Amino acid sequence: MIQKLLWRGALLMFVLLTCSVRADDNAYRPGPDAMPKQGVPKGVVTKYQWKSAIFPSTVRDYWVYVPAQYDGKTPAALMVFQDGGGFVREKGAFRAPTVFDNLIAAGEMPVTIGLFINPGVVPPAKEGQQGRKNRSYEYDTLSDQYAKFLLEEMIPELEKKYKITKNPDGRGICGNSSGGICAFTVAWERPEAFRKVVSHVGSFTNIRGGHVYPALIRKTDKKPLRVFLQDGKNDVDNLHGNWPLANQQMAKALEFAKYDYKFVFGEGVHSGRHGGAIFPDTMRWIWRDWKGIEL
Amino acid sequence: MIRILTLLLWFACVGGVLARDMPLSEVLIEGAGWQVVSEGHGFTDGLCSDADGNVYFSDVRSGQVIYKVDLDGKVSEFVKKAAGISGLQWGADGKLYACLARGRMVVRFDQGGKMEILAKEVRPNDLVVTYDGNVYFTQTPEQEIVRIDPKGKMTVVSKGVIVKPNGITLSPDQGTLAVSDYGGKYVWVFRIEKEGTLSYPQNYMTMRTANGKPEVAKGDGMATDAEGRYYVTSAVGLQMYDPTGRMGGVIVKPQDAGLVSVVFGGADLAYLYVACGDTIYRRKTKSKGVLFFEKPEKEREK
Repeated sequence: MIQKLLWRGALLMFVLLTCSVRADDNAYRPGPDAMPKQGVPKGVVTKYQWKSAIFPSTVRDYWVYVPAQYDGKTPAALMVFQDGGGFVREKGAFRAPTVFDNLIAAGEMPVTIGLFINPGVVPPAKEGQQGRKNRSYEYDTLSDQYAKFLLEEMIPELEKKYKITKNPDGRGICGNSSGGICAFTVAWERPEAFRKVVSHVGSFTNIRGGHVYPALIRKTDKKPLRVFLQDGKNDVDNLHGNWPLANQQMAKALEFAKYDYKFVFGEGVHSGRHGGAIFPDTMRWIWRDWKGIEL
Repeated sequence: MIRILTLLLWFACVGGVLARDMPLSEVLIEGAGWQVVSEGHGFTDGLCSDADGNVYFSDVRSGQVIYKVDLDGKVSEFVKKAAGISGLQWGADGKLYACLARGRMVVRFDQGGKMEILAKEVRPNDLVVTYDGNVYFTQTPEQEIVRIDPKGKMTVVSKGVIVKPNGITLSPDQGTLAVSDYGGKYVWVFRIEKEGTLSYPQNYMTMRTANGKPEVAKGDGMATDAEGRYYVTSAVGLQMYDPTGRMGGVIVKPQDAGLVSVVFGGADLAYLYVACGDTIYRRKTKSKGVLFFEKPEKEREK
Protein backbone atom coordinates (compact mmCIF):
# COMPACT_ATOMS: atom_id res chain seq x y z
CA MET A 1 0.00 0.00 0.00
CA ILE A 2 2.74 2.41 1.05
CA GLN A 3 4.63 1.42 -2.03
CA LYS A 4 1.60 2.26 -4.14
CA LEU A 5 1.25 5.65 -2.49
CA LEU A 6 4.93 6.39 -2.99
CA TRP A 7 4.57 5.41 -6.59
CA ARG A 8 1.61 7.74 -7.04
CA GLY A 9 3.50 10.51 -5.28
CA ALA A 10 6.45 10.05 -7.57
CA LEU A 11 4.16 10.11 -10.56
CA LEU A 12 2.50 13.31 -9.39
CA MET A 13 5.88 14.93 -8.78
CA PHE A 14 6.96 13.92 -12.24
CA VAL A 15 3.83 15.33 -13.86
CA LEU A 16 4.17 18.60 -11.94
CA LEU A 17 7.84 18.82 -12.78
CA THR A 18 7.30 18.21 -16.48
CA CYS A 19 4.37 20.61 -16.56
CA SER A 20 6.49 23.33 -15.02
CA VAL A 21 9.17 22.67 -17.62
CA ARG A 22 6.57 22.98 -20.32
CA ALA A 23 5.25 26.15 -18.72
CA ASP A 24 8.72 27.69 -18.88
CA ASP A 25 8.86 26.93 -22.54
CA ASN A 26 5.29 28.07 -23.11
CA ALA A 27 6.23 31.52 -21.86
CA TYR A 28 8.08 31.99 -25.14
CA ARG A 29 5.68 33.15 -27.82
CA PRO A 30 6.00 34.92 -31.14
CA GLY A 31 5.86 38.70 -30.62
CA PRO A 32 4.40 41.57 -32.65
CA ASP A 33 7.24 41.47 -35.19
CA ALA A 34 6.10 37.97 -36.13
CA MET A 35 2.56 39.18 -36.91
CA PRO A 36 1.53 40.75 -40.22
CA LYS A 37 1.46 44.53 -39.88
CA GLN A 38 -0.82 46.86 -41.75
CA GLY A 39 0.89 48.68 -44.58
CA VAL A 40 3.86 46.31 -44.67
CA PRO A 41 4.22 44.66 -48.09
CA LYS A 42 4.23 40.87 -48.01
CA GLY A 43 6.89 38.84 -49.72
CA VAL A 44 6.08 35.72 -51.71
CA VAL A 45 6.86 32.17 -50.55
CA THR A 46 7.03 29.45 -53.20
CA LYS A 47 7.44 25.73 -52.58
CA TYR A 48 9.70 23.56 -54.74
CA GLN A 49 11.18 20.07 -54.69
CA TRP A 50 14.83 19.16 -55.23
CA LYS A 51 16.55 15.94 -56.22
CA SER A 52 20.20 16.09 -55.19
CA ALA A 53 23.31 14.65 -56.81
CA ILE A 54 25.63 15.56 -53.92
CA PHE A 55 23.43 13.56 -51.55
CA PRO A 56 22.65 11.02 -54.27
CA SER A 57 18.99 10.39 -55.00
CA THR A 58 17.71 12.30 -51.98
CA VAL A 59 14.55 14.29 -52.50
CA ARG A 60 13.38 17.18 -50.37
CA ASP A 61 11.00 20.11 -50.29
CA TYR A 62 12.30 23.64 -50.18
CA TRP A 63 10.73 27.08 -50.09
CA VAL A 64 11.96 30.40 -51.43
CA TYR A 65 10.90 33.67 -49.84
CA VAL A 66 11.25 36.74 -52.05
CA PRO A 67 10.55 40.06 -50.35
CA ALA A 68 8.27 42.59 -52.02
CA GLN A 69 11.21 45.04 -52.11
CA TYR A 70 13.36 42.77 -54.30
CA ASP A 71 13.66 44.60 -57.63
CA GLY A 72 15.28 41.90 -59.79
CA LYS A 73 18.36 44.07 -60.42
CA THR A 74 20.01 44.69 -57.06
CA PRO A 75 21.59 41.59 -55.48
CA ALA A 76 19.71 40.47 -52.40
CA ALA A 77 21.17 39.26 -49.13
CA LEU A 78 20.60 35.56 -48.38
CA MET A 79 19.47 33.58 -45.35
CA VAL A 80 19.44 29.77 -45.54
CA PHE A 81 17.42 27.68 -43.08
CA GLN A 82 17.77 23.99 -42.21
CA ASP A 83 14.50 22.13 -41.54
CA GLY A 84 13.09 24.96 -43.64
CA GLY A 85 9.49 23.79 -43.48
CA GLY A 86 9.25 24.73 -39.81
CA PHE A 87 10.63 28.22 -40.34
CA VAL A 88 8.19 29.18 -43.11
CA ARG A 89 5.09 27.91 -41.29
CA GLU A 90 2.65 30.77 -40.89
CA LYS A 91 1.63 29.74 -37.38
CA GLY A 92 4.98 28.25 -36.37
CA ALA A 93 7.44 29.37 -33.69
CA PHE A 94 9.50 31.48 -36.13
CA ARG A 95 7.26 32.78 -38.96
CA ALA A 96 10.40 33.90 -40.74
CA PRO A 97 8.68 35.33 -43.86
CA THR A 98 6.51 37.65 -41.74
CA VAL A 99 9.50 38.67 -39.59
CA PHE A 100 11.46 39.39 -42.78
CA ASP A 101 8.54 41.43 -44.20
CA ASN A 102 8.45 43.58 -41.07
CA LEU A 103 12.20 44.05 -40.57
CA ILE A 104 12.94 44.71 -44.22
CA ALA A 105 10.16 47.33 -44.35
CA ALA A 106 11.57 48.93 -41.19
CA GLY A 107 15.09 49.01 -42.65
CA GLU A 108 16.40 46.75 -39.91
CA MET A 109 17.72 44.10 -42.26
CA PRO A 110 18.62 44.13 -45.96
CA VAL A 111 16.38 42.96 -48.77
CA THR A 112 16.92 39.27 -48.11
CA ILE A 113 15.91 36.18 -50.01
CA GLY A 114 15.11 33.25 -47.74
CA LEU A 115 16.01 29.69 -48.76
CA PHE A 116 14.22 27.20 -46.50
CA ILE A 117 15.38 23.63 -47.12
CA ASN A 118 14.15 20.40 -45.58
CA PRO A 119 16.53 17.49 -45.00
CA GLY A 120 16.67 14.81 -47.69
CA VAL A 121 15.12 11.38 -47.85
CA VAL A 122 16.14 8.54 -50.15
CA PRO A 123 12.67 7.36 -51.14
CA PRO A 124 11.95 3.64 -50.83
CA ALA A 125 12.16 1.48 -53.92
CA LYS A 126 9.03 -0.46 -52.97
CA GLU A 127 5.74 0.60 -51.49
CA GLY A 128 5.50 0.04 -47.76
CA GLN A 129 9.22 0.51 -47.15
CA GLN A 130 10.63 3.35 -45.09
CA GLY A 131 13.29 4.91 -47.25
CA ARG A 132 16.46 6.38 -45.83
CA LYS A 133 16.29 9.44 -43.61
CA ASN A 134 19.26 11.64 -44.34
CA ARG A 135 18.82 14.44 -41.80
CA SER A 136 21.46 13.33 -39.30
CA TYR A 137 23.94 12.47 -42.05
CA GLU A 138 23.50 15.86 -43.73
CA TYR A 139 23.37 18.03 -40.60
CA ASP A 140 25.52 16.33 -37.96
CA THR A 141 28.53 15.34 -40.08
CA LEU A 142 31.60 17.52 -39.57
CA SER A 143 32.68 18.14 -43.16
CA ASP A 144 32.08 20.52 -46.04
CA GLN A 145 29.44 18.24 -47.59
CA TYR A 146 26.44 20.39 -46.68
CA ALA A 147 28.29 23.58 -47.71
CA LYS A 148 28.99 21.95 -51.07
CA PHE A 149 25.34 20.98 -51.41
CA LEU A 150 24.35 24.63 -50.86
CA LEU A 151 27.09 26.20 -52.98
CA GLU A 152 27.06 23.75 -55.87
CA GLU A 153 23.38 22.83 -56.05
CA MET A 154 20.87 24.94 -54.15
CA ILE A 155 22.31 28.44 -54.55
CA PRO A 156 23.12 28.04 -58.27
CA GLU A 157 19.51 26.88 -58.72
CA LEU A 158 18.30 29.96 -56.83
CA GLU A 159 20.60 32.20 -58.90
CA LYS A 160 18.86 31.08 -62.10
CA LYS A 161 15.96 33.26 -61.00
CA TYR A 162 17.36 35.75 -58.52
CA LYS A 163 20.41 37.92 -58.00
CA ILE A 164 22.11 36.90 -54.75
CA THR A 165 25.02 38.76 -53.21
CA LYS A 166 28.46 37.15 -53.47
CA ASN A 167 29.57 39.01 -50.37
CA PRO A 168 29.80 36.44 -47.53
CA ASP A 169 28.94 39.16 -45.00
CA GLY A 170 25.59 39.36 -46.75
CA ARG A 171 24.90 35.63 -46.42
CA GLY A 172 23.62 33.95 -43.28
CA ILE A 173 22.58 30.46 -42.26
CA CYS A 174 20.24 29.38 -39.49
CA GLY A 175 18.95 26.19 -37.90
CA ASN A 176 17.67 24.45 -34.82
CA SER A 177 19.21 21.46 -33.06
CA SER A 178 21.18 19.45 -35.67
CA GLY A 179 20.26 22.22 -38.11
CA GLY A 180 22.04 24.60 -35.74
CA ILE A 181 25.34 22.75 -35.72
CA CYS A 182 24.92 22.41 -39.49
CA ALA A 183 24.71 26.22 -39.79
CA PHE A 184 27.96 26.55 -37.86
CA THR A 185 29.66 23.80 -39.87
CA VAL A 186 28.77 25.46 -43.19
CA ALA A 187 30.29 28.81 -42.13
CA TRP A 188 33.25 27.14 -40.38
CA GLU A 189 34.08 25.18 -43.53
CA ARG A 190 33.33 27.96 -46.04
CA PRO A 191 33.75 31.39 -44.41
CA GLU A 192 34.32 32.84 -47.87
CA ALA A 193 30.68 31.97 -48.63
CA PHE A 194 28.79 32.36 -45.32
CA ARG A 195 29.70 34.52 -42.34
CA LYS A 196 26.52 34.84 -40.33
CA VAL A 197 25.45 31.90 -38.17
CA VAL A 198 22.27 31.52 -36.12
CA SER A 199 21.89 28.38 -33.98
CA HIS A 200 18.96 27.57 -31.72
CA VAL A 201 19.29 24.63 -29.31
CA GLY A 202 22.31 23.65 -31.43
CA SER A 203 23.53 20.05 -31.23
CA PHE A 204 27.17 20.74 -30.43
CA THR A 205 27.24 17.24 -28.98
CA ASN A 206 28.53 13.85 -30.03
CA ILE A 207 25.83 12.81 -32.47
CA ARG A 208 28.51 12.51 -35.13
CA GLY A 209 31.48 14.13 -33.44
CA GLY A 210 30.21 17.74 -33.12
CA HIS A 211 31.28 18.02 -29.48
CA VAL A 212 34.79 18.94 -30.61
CA TYR A 213 33.92 22.42 -31.90
CA PRO A 214 34.73 24.36 -28.69
CA ALA A 215 38.20 22.80 -28.72
CA LEU A 216 38.66 23.51 -32.43
CA ILE A 217 37.52 27.14 -32.06
CA ARG A 218 40.02 27.78 -29.25
CA LYS A 219 42.96 26.36 -31.18
CA THR A 220 42.19 27.70 -34.68
CA ASP A 221 43.07 31.06 -36.12
CA LYS A 222 39.93 33.17 -35.75
CA LYS A 223 37.54 32.98 -38.69
CA PRO A 224 35.59 36.07 -39.79
CA LEU A 225 32.21 34.80 -38.53
CA ARG A 226 29.39 36.39 -36.58
CA VAL A 227 27.67 33.77 -34.45
CA PHE A 228 24.38 33.85 -32.58
CA LEU A 229 23.65 30.97 -30.19
CA GLN A 230 20.49 30.31 -28.19
CA ASP A 231 19.89 27.50 -25.73
CA GLY A 232 17.85 26.81 -22.60
CA LYS A 233 18.86 25.38 -19.27
CA ASN A 234 16.18 22.69 -19.64
CA ASP A 235 17.51 21.46 -22.96
CA VAL A 236 18.25 17.74 -23.25
CA ASP A 237 20.90 15.63 -21.59
CA ASN A 238 21.18 12.32 -23.42
CA LEU A 239 23.55 9.77 -24.91
CA HIS A 240 24.95 12.31 -27.34
CA GLY A 241 25.74 14.90 -24.69
CA ASN A 242 24.36 17.73 -22.57
CA TRP A 243 22.96 20.54 -24.74
CA PRO A 244 23.07 23.36 -22.15
CA LEU A 245 26.69 22.58 -21.25
CA ALA A 246 27.70 22.14 -24.89
CA ASN A 247 26.24 25.51 -25.86
CA GLN A 248 27.93 27.20 -22.91
CA GLN A 249 31.21 25.63 -24.01
CA MET A 250 30.61 26.99 -27.52
CA ALA A 251 29.91 30.47 -26.16
CA LYS A 252 33.01 30.45 -23.95
CA ALA A 253 35.19 29.20 -26.80
CA LEU A 254 33.87 31.94 -29.12
CA GLU A 255 34.57 34.49 -26.40
CA PHE A 256 38.07 33.12 -25.78
CA ALA A 257 38.90 33.31 -29.49
CA LYS A 258 37.43 36.84 -29.63
CA TYR A 259 34.61 36.12 -32.04
CA ASP A 260 31.75 38.52 -32.76
CA TYR A 261 29.14 36.39 -30.98
CA LYS A 262 26.04 36.55 -28.82
CA PHE A 263 24.71 33.82 -26.53
CA VAL A 264 21.16 33.87 -25.19
CA PHE A 265 20.64 31.26 -22.47
CA GLY A 266 17.05 30.89 -21.30
CA GLU A 267 14.71 28.54 -19.53
CA GLY A 268 13.57 26.55 -22.53
CA VAL A 269 13.65 22.89 -23.47
CA HIS A 270 14.71 21.31 -26.76
CA SER A 271 12.33 23.31 -28.91
CA GLY A 272 12.27 26.32 -31.18
CA ARG A 273 9.97 28.34 -28.93
CA HIS A 274 12.58 30.56 -27.28
CA GLY A 275 14.56 30.96 -30.48
CA GLY A 276 11.31 31.83 -32.25
CA ALA A 277 10.21 34.36 -29.63
CA ILE A 278 13.46 36.33 -29.96
CA PHE A 279 13.96 35.70 -33.68
CA PRO A 280 13.25 39.31 -34.77
CA ASP A 281 15.85 40.62 -32.30
CA THR A 282 18.27 37.94 -33.44
CA MET A 283 17.87 39.13 -37.03
CA ARG A 284 18.37 42.74 -35.89
CA TRP A 285 21.58 41.74 -34.11
CA ILE A 286 22.98 39.61 -36.90
CA TRP A 287 22.19 42.30 -39.52
CA ARG A 288 22.88 45.32 -37.30
CA ASP A 289 25.47 46.86 -39.63
CA TRP A 290 23.93 45.74 -42.91
CA LYS A 291 23.90 49.22 -44.39
CA GLY A 292 27.70 49.11 -44.43
CA ILE A 293 27.79 45.82 -46.36
CA GLU A 294 28.10 46.09 -50.11
CA LEU A 295 25.67 43.54 -51.50
CA MET B 1 3.41 4.81 -17.14
CA ILE B 2 6.36 7.08 -16.45
CA ARG B 3 7.93 5.79 -19.61
CA ILE B 4 4.83 6.71 -21.59
CA LEU B 5 4.75 10.17 -19.99
CA THR B 6 8.42 10.67 -20.78
CA LEU B 7 7.76 9.68 -24.36
CA LEU B 8 4.77 12.01 -24.60
CA LEU B 9 6.80 14.83 -23.11
CA TRP B 10 9.58 14.13 -25.54
CA PHE B 11 7.27 14.30 -28.55
CA ALA B 12 5.57 17.39 -27.17
CA CYS B 13 8.87 19.19 -26.67
CA VAL B 14 10.61 18.22 -29.84
CA GLY B 15 7.60 18.10 -32.07
CA GLY B 16 9.08 15.25 -34.02
CA VAL B 17 12.06 17.28 -35.19
CA LEU B 18 14.52 14.74 -33.86
CA ALA B 19 14.60 11.01 -34.41
CA ARG B 20 14.08 9.04 -31.22
CA ASP B 21 17.18 8.67 -29.10
CA MET B 22 18.36 5.11 -28.70
CA PRO B 23 20.92 4.79 -25.93
CA LEU B 24 22.40 1.43 -24.95
CA SER B 25 20.06 1.41 -21.96
CA GLU B 26 17.15 0.78 -24.36
CA VAL B 27 18.74 -2.56 -25.23
CA LEU B 28 21.01 -3.74 -22.44
CA ILE B 29 19.76 -5.05 -19.12
CA GLU B 30 21.73 -3.98 -16.10
CA GLY B 31 23.44 -6.98 -14.56
CA ALA B 32 22.81 -9.22 -17.57
CA GLY B 33 26.34 -9.63 -18.93
CA TRP B 34 27.91 -12.00 -21.42
CA GLN B 35 27.57 -15.71 -20.70
CA VAL B 36 29.48 -18.54 -22.35
CA VAL B 37 27.37 -20.61 -24.74
CA SER B 38 30.03 -22.78 -26.36
CA GLU B 39 33.81 -22.74 -25.88
CA GLY B 40 36.99 -24.51 -26.91
CA HIS B 41 36.66 -23.86 -30.62
CA GLY B 42 39.30 -22.46 -32.99
CA PHE B 43 37.78 -19.28 -34.42
CA THR B 44 34.00 -19.02 -34.21
CA ASP B 45 31.92 -17.23 -36.89
CA GLY B 46 28.78 -17.43 -39.03
CA LEU B 47 26.04 -16.89 -36.42
CA CYS B 48 22.41 -17.10 -37.56
CA SER B 49 19.01 -17.96 -36.07
CA ASP B 50 15.93 -19.90 -37.08
CA ALA B 51 12.28 -19.08 -36.37
CA ASP B 52 12.32 -20.87 -33.01
CA GLY B 53 15.41 -19.03 -31.81
CA ASN B 54 17.86 -21.90 -32.28
CA VAL B 55 21.26 -20.48 -33.14
CA TYR B 56 23.78 -21.85 -35.64
CA PHE B 57 27.49 -21.15 -35.93
CA SER B 58 30.69 -22.40 -37.47
CA ASP B 59 34.34 -22.69 -36.56
CA VAL B 60 36.01 -21.15 -39.56
CA ARG B 61 39.53 -22.25 -38.57
CA SER B 62 39.28 -25.78 -37.22
CA GLY B 63 35.63 -26.82 -37.42
CA GLN B 64 34.31 -29.49 -39.74
CA VAL B 65 30.61 -29.01 -38.97
CA ILE B 66 27.81 -26.46 -38.52
CA TYR B 67 26.85 -26.31 -34.86
CA LYS B 68 23.34 -25.78 -33.50
CA VAL B 69 22.54 -24.29 -30.09
CA ASP B 70 19.01 -25.10 -28.99
CA LEU B 71 16.86 -23.11 -26.57
CA ASP B 72 18.17 -25.14 -23.64
CA GLY B 73 21.74 -24.19 -24.58
CA LYS B 74 22.59 -27.69 -25.80
CA VAL B 75 25.17 -27.63 -28.61
CA SER B 76 24.93 -30.28 -31.32
CA GLU B 77 26.29 -30.90 -34.80
CA PHE B 78 23.65 -29.81 -37.30
CA VAL B 79 25.48 -30.36 -40.59
CA LYS B 80 28.52 -32.61 -40.76
CA LYS B 81 31.22 -32.17 -43.40
CA ALA B 82 30.93 -28.42 -43.65
CA ALA B 83 34.37 -26.93 -43.07
CA GLY B 84 35.67 -23.37 -43.24
CA ILE B 85 32.34 -21.57 -43.10
CA SER B 86 32.37 -17.79 -42.55
CA GLY B 87 28.70 -16.89 -43.03
CA LEU B 88 25.32 -18.57 -42.46
CA GLN B 89 21.71 -17.52 -42.97
CA TRP B 90 18.36 -19.31 -43.29
CA GLY B 91 16.36 -18.61 -46.45
CA ALA B 92 12.58 -18.43 -46.90
CA ASP B 93 12.89 -21.78 -48.73
CA GLY B 94 13.80 -23.46 -45.43
CA LYS B 95 17.39 -24.00 -46.52
CA LEU B 96 20.54 -22.93 -44.74
CA TYR B 97 22.74 -20.74 -46.95
CA ALA B 98 26.47 -20.74 -46.28
CA CYS B 99 29.71 -19.07 -47.34
CA LEU B 100 32.35 -21.76 -47.75
CA ALA B 101 35.34 -19.47 -47.40
CA ARG B 102 37.86 -22.27 -47.67
CA GLY B 103 35.95 -24.18 -50.36
CA ARG B 104 35.40 -20.91 -52.27
CA MET B 105 31.69 -21.61 -52.75
CA VAL B 106 28.27 -20.31 -51.80
CA VAL B 107 26.03 -23.27 -51.00
CA ARG B 108 22.76 -24.16 -49.32
CA PHE B 109 21.90 -27.14 -47.15
CA ASP B 110 18.46 -28.69 -46.91
CA GLN B 111 17.05 -29.93 -43.61
CA GLY B 112 18.74 -33.27 -44.13
CA GLY B 113 22.14 -31.63 -44.59
CA LYS B 114 22.30 -32.25 -48.35
CA MET B 115 24.43 -29.56 -49.99
CA GLU B 116 23.63 -27.70 -53.19
CA ILE B 117 26.21 -25.42 -54.82
CA LEU B 118 25.01 -21.93 -55.79
CA ALA B 119 28.33 -20.35 -56.80
CA LYS B 120 31.81 -21.78 -57.36
CA GLU B 121 35.24 -20.15 -57.48
CA VAL B 122 34.13 -17.20 -55.41
CA ARG B 123 35.60 -15.87 -52.19
CA PRO B 124 32.56 -15.27 -49.99
CA ASN B 125 32.98 -13.77 -46.55
CA ASP B 126 29.47 -13.17 -45.23
CA LEU B 127 25.96 -13.25 -46.66
CA VAL B 128 22.34 -12.29 -46.20
CA VAL B 129 19.27 -13.84 -47.85
CA THR B 130 16.18 -11.71 -48.47
CA TYR B 131 12.58 -12.83 -48.19
CA ASP B 132 12.38 -12.73 -52.03
CA GLY B 133 15.27 -15.17 -52.26
CA ASN B 134 18.07 -12.85 -53.29
CA VAL B 135 21.45 -13.76 -51.79
CA TYR B 136 23.93 -10.92 -51.25
CA PHE B 137 27.45 -11.87 -50.22
CA THR B 138 30.65 -9.92 -49.66
CA GLN B 139 33.90 -10.72 -51.47
CA THR B 140 36.27 -8.85 -49.24
CA PRO B 141 39.57 -8.80 -51.21
CA GLU B 142 37.73 -8.02 -54.47
CA GLN B 143 35.89 -5.09 -52.83
CA GLU B 144 32.64 -6.56 -54.10
CA ILE B 145 29.09 -7.23 -53.09
CA VAL B 146 27.71 -10.05 -55.22
CA ARG B 147 24.11 -11.01 -55.73
CA ILE B 148 22.71 -14.42 -56.59
CA ASP B 149 19.14 -13.93 -57.78
CA PRO B 150 16.34 -16.46 -57.12
CA LYS B 151 17.06 -18.11 -60.50
CA GLY B 152 20.70 -18.60 -59.55
CA LYS B 153 22.20 -15.90 -61.75
CA MET B 154 25.21 -14.22 -60.17
CA THR B 155 26.11 -10.53 -60.69
CA VAL B 156 28.45 -8.07 -59.01
CA VAL B 157 26.20 -5.34 -57.58
CA SER B 158 28.85 -3.13 -55.95
CA LYS B 159 32.56 -2.89 -56.63
CA GLY B 160 35.25 -0.59 -55.30
CA VAL B 161 32.94 1.36 -53.00
CA ILE B 162 34.02 -0.26 -49.74
CA VAL B 163 37.69 -0.92 -48.89
CA LYS B 164 37.05 -4.36 -47.38
CA PRO B 165 33.33 -5.19 -47.47
CA ASN B 166 32.64 -7.71 -44.74
CA GLY B 167 29.50 -7.95 -42.58
CA ILE B 168 26.11 -7.65 -44.26
CA THR B 169 22.54 -7.14 -43.06
CA LEU B 170 19.18 -5.63 -44.01
CA SER B 171 16.78 -3.05 -42.59
CA PRO B 172 13.64 -4.66 -41.12
CA ASP B 173 11.66 -3.67 -44.25
CA GLN B 174 14.45 -5.15 -46.43
CA GLY B 175 14.67 -1.95 -48.49
CA THR B 176 18.16 -1.07 -47.27
CA LEU B 177 21.29 -3.22 -47.35
CA ALA B 178 24.01 -2.34 -44.83
CA VAL B 179 27.61 -3.52 -45.27
CA SER B 180 30.48 -3.00 -42.86
CA ASP B 181 34.05 -2.11 -43.83
CA TYR B 182 36.87 -4.14 -42.30
CA GLY B 183 39.44 -1.82 -43.89
CA GLY B 184 37.78 1.53 -43.19
CA LYS B 185 35.63 3.20 -40.59
CA TYR B 186 32.16 3.28 -42.12
CA VAL B 187 29.12 1.09 -42.42
CA TRP B 188 27.71 1.71 -45.88
CA VAL B 189 24.06 1.53 -46.84
CA PHE B 190 22.51 0.89 -50.27
CA ARG B 191 18.99 1.04 -51.57
CA ILE B 192 17.82 -2.33 -52.87
CA GLU B 193 15.97 -1.66 -56.12
CA LYS B 194 12.86 -3.56 -57.16
CA GLU B 195 14.93 -5.71 -59.50
CA GLY B 196 17.45 -6.49 -56.73
CA THR B 197 20.31 -4.24 -57.84
CA LEU B 198 21.95 -1.86 -55.35
CA SER B 199 22.02 1.91 -55.64
CA TYR B 200 22.96 5.10 -53.76
CA PRO B 201 25.75 3.88 -51.50
CA GLN B 202 26.33 6.15 -48.54
CA ASN B 203 28.81 6.03 -45.63
CA TYR B 204 25.87 6.27 -43.27
CA MET B 205 27.39 5.12 -39.96
CA THR B 206 30.80 6.21 -38.69
CA MET B 207 32.31 3.50 -36.52
CA ARG B 208 34.41 4.10 -33.45
CA THR B 209 38.02 3.08 -34.02
CA ALA B 210 40.68 1.94 -31.57
CA ASN B 211 42.91 4.65 -30.12
CA GLY B 212 45.88 5.15 -32.40
CA LYS B 213 44.13 3.56 -35.40
CA PRO B 214 41.79 6.34 -36.54
CA GLU B 215 41.05 5.08 -40.05
CA VAL B 216 40.36 1.37 -39.58
CA ALA B 217 37.49 0.11 -37.42
CA LYS B 218 37.68 -3.56 -38.53
CA GLY B 219 33.93 -3.66 -39.10
CA ASP B 220 32.83 -7.29 -39.34
CA GLY B 221 29.61 -9.27 -38.83
CA MET B 222 26.31 -7.38 -38.62
CA ALA B 223 22.78 -7.81 -37.26
CA THR B 224 19.52 -5.82 -37.14
CA ASP B 225 16.88 -5.67 -34.43
CA ALA B 226 13.12 -5.21 -34.71
CA GLU B 227 13.43 -1.45 -34.03
CA GLY B 228 15.77 -1.09 -37.01
CA ARG B 229 18.92 -0.66 -34.96
CA TYR B 230 22.08 -1.92 -36.61
CA TYR B 231 24.80 -3.86 -34.78
CA VAL B 232 28.32 -4.27 -36.10
CA THR B 233 31.25 -6.14 -34.60
CA SER B 234 34.54 -4.24 -34.64
CA ALA B 235 37.97 -3.90 -33.06
CA VAL B 236 36.61 -1.91 -30.10
CA GLY B 237 33.48 -4.01 -29.51
CA LEU B 238 29.91 -4.42 -30.67
CA GLN B 239 28.74 -1.05 -32.04
CA MET B 240 25.06 -0.12 -32.11
CA TYR B 241 23.43 2.47 -34.41
CA ASP B 242 19.92 3.87 -34.65
CA PRO B 243 18.03 3.59 -37.97
CA THR B 244 19.20 7.09 -39.00
CA GLY B 245 22.86 6.11 -38.63
CA ARG B 246 23.59 7.75 -35.28
CA MET B 247 25.70 5.72 -32.87
CA GLY B 248 23.86 4.50 -29.79
CA GLY B 249 26.93 3.07 -28.13
CA VAL B 250 29.59 0.38 -28.01
CA ILE B 251 29.05 -2.87 -26.10
CA VAL B 252 32.33 -4.25 -24.75
CA LYS B 253 33.70 -7.54 -26.01
CA PRO B 254 33.29 -10.55 -23.76
CA GLN B 255 37.00 -11.36 -24.07
CA ASP B 256 40.11 -9.94 -25.73
CA ALA B 257 39.77 -11.79 -29.03
CA GLY B 258 38.42 -11.19 -32.54
CA LEU B 259 34.73 -10.25 -32.40
CA VAL B 260 33.45 -11.18 -35.86
CA SER B 261 29.80 -12.27 -35.83
CA VAL B 262 26.54 -11.26 -34.13
CA VAL B 263 22.90 -12.35 -34.22
CA PHE B 264 19.74 -12.13 -32.13
CA GLY B 265 18.59 -15.57 -31.08
CA GLY B 266 17.32 -17.69 -28.21
CA ALA B 267 13.83 -17.47 -26.70
CA ASP B 268 11.82 -14.63 -28.34
CA LEU B 269 15.01 -13.73 -30.25
CA ALA B 270 15.83 -11.57 -27.23
CA TYR B 271 19.48 -12.56 -26.77
CA LEU B 272 22.48 -11.08 -28.52
CA TYR B 273 24.86 -13.90 -29.53
CA VAL B 274 28.42 -13.08 -30.54
CA ALA B 275 31.34 -15.08 -31.89
CA CYS B 276 34.46 -13.87 -30.11
CA GLY B 277 37.59 -15.89 -30.78
CA ASP B 278 37.25 -19.47 -29.54
CA THR B 279 33.94 -18.88 -27.75
CA ILE B 280 30.28 -18.15 -28.45
CA TYR B 281 28.68 -15.84 -25.86
CA ARG B 282 25.22 -14.44 -25.35
CA ARG B 283 23.50 -11.80 -23.22
CA LYS B 284 19.83 -11.03 -22.67
CA THR B 285 18.46 -7.75 -24.05
CA LYS B 286 15.28 -5.68 -23.97
CA SER B 287 15.17 -5.86 -27.77
CA LYS B 288 14.61 -8.67 -30.24
CA GLY B 289 15.86 -9.65 -33.65
CA VAL B 290 14.27 -9.80 -37.08
CA LEU B 291 14.28 -12.84 -39.32
CA PHE B 292 14.83 -11.97 -42.96
CA PHE B 293 13.17 -15.18 -44.18
CA GLU B 294 9.90 -13.89 -42.74
CA LYS B 295 7.78 -11.49 -44.76
CA PRO B 296 8.75 -7.93 -43.79
CA GLU B 297 6.01 -5.94 -42.12
CA LYS B 298 4.86 -2.93 -44.06
CA GLU B 299 5.66 0.43 -42.61
CA ARG B 300 3.07 1.38 -40.03
CA GLU B 301 0.97 4.35 -41.07
CA LYS B 302 2.34 7.42 -39.34
